[in-house]
Amino acid sequence: MKRLAFFILSVALLTSSEAMSQCNADNLSTACIPKLAGGFNFLKSYKIDGAGGSKDKVEYSYVFTKGTQYMINICANAQPTDGIIVSLFDSNRNKVATSKVNGQFISAIAYPCNATGIYYIQYTFDGSSGYCGGSALGFKR
Amino acid sequence: MRFIKFGLLIALLSACGGGKKPSQEEFMQSIDSVKTTGPSISEEVIDGILDQIPSPLEISVLLKESGKRYNSNILNSADNISKYNSNYKKALNLGIYGTDLGYTNIYEQNQDGIKYISAIKSLADGLNIGQFFDVTTIGKLATNSKNLDSLLLITTQNFNSINHYLQEQSRANLSALLLTGGWLEAMHITCNVAASDPNNKELQEKIGEQKVILENIMLLLSFYKEADQNMASLLADMDELKKAFDKVNITYTYKESTFEIVDGVMVIKDNSTTTIDIKPEDIAAISSITNSIRNKIIS
Repeated sequence: MKRLAFFILSVALLTSSEAMSQCNADNLSTACIPKLAGGFNFLKSYKIDGAGGSKDKVEYSYVFTKGTQYMINICANAQPTDGIIVSLFDSNRNKVATSKVNGQFISAIAYPCNATGIYYIQYTFDGSSGYCGGSALGFKR
Repeated sequence: MRFIKFGLLIALLSACGGGKKPSQEEFMQSIDSVKTTGPSISEEVIDGILDQIPSPLEISVLLKESGKRYNSNILNSADNISKYNSNYKKALNLGIYGTDLGYTNIYEQNQDGIKYISAIKSLADGLNIGQFFDVTTIGKLATNSKNLDSLLLITTQNFNSINHYLQEQSRANLSALLLTGGWLEAMHITCNVAASDPNNKELQEKIGEQKVILENIMLLLSFYKEADQNMASLLADMDELKKAFDKVNITYTYKESTFEIVDGVMVIKDNSTTTIDIKPEDIAAISSITNSIRNKIIS
């Protein structure tokens, strides 16, 4: 009987710790949408799931067009970004922007695009505790 | 894997016995483009390319904010819906109506918008993705222009959900068609507006820069050309469009960006530039071919 109780308890603990360590990037990316600054129209939401630290980056791409201003923000369980950095690269992989400056994690980037092309939106982790976040992309003219 | 899934499905349907019921027929039709052979390229790569394609809403916002008047005559009539019986046509025209709905929304033309909402719901149901299009909420929001932000948000979210679902279900071919239809309609609208304002440099450049997106769309369609005759035919048509776009030159000059922090937001100053060299005859050719492809799709 004791063994059975021990088994049930172990399974329950394992299940709950697994659930706790799961990354709910979907919720975080949805929560990020209303945090886009006023005037920006929502385009995409991105999940940032670093799989508990086993992934060193999460990357998406999007065609940005000249004359349009884009905003990319980051949401995480710990403020401001739980060590999540967003960097923007052009189609030739030249770095256009990164959200960590002088040791400070910035939670939103506004990018008035002057050159049409494919851009890579890359999320990396620097001292993150959860390796989990969400992000939203918006635009305005 | 897809072959095994298809085989299991056939076995399951056969085991149920009896004649071919309408519901089975509908279901079989819903997967008619996923048959035995899919693209050899990985789903991850396809999903990545699909995600790159920009929202047609960006063009509608450009047109509205540059003072262009609303013109319902350039849109695909919602009454055409009865013509779209195959999944191929349904997916392409779902994209076209999606762009038309975005256009009517941006111009706050609610009466027209409601017709497109209904057409979209019907096409989406026909593709078994109607559950992602919240017609009740969108319909309510569309009746009041004060709800524009919410309307745009929910419509975009619904279309994003449809695309994600199709990709998860290994039906990215339909997602490719949906995005292709949406892009073609945005091209058609832009070309029509540009024709009425031939000296508008911004619109000319907007048409020219679509070369970047066309390359992505053609790459996507090329993945399915062996497995799907319709998509091979569409790719051949798009190749004609590419030939017209080949005359457009886009020159990119990279220069390191700078930034400043404003109210906690990093505001980038983009010092890179693109120059787009497009001539009036290029626009005329692009416009004519776009129109011809679109006519095949909507008729």
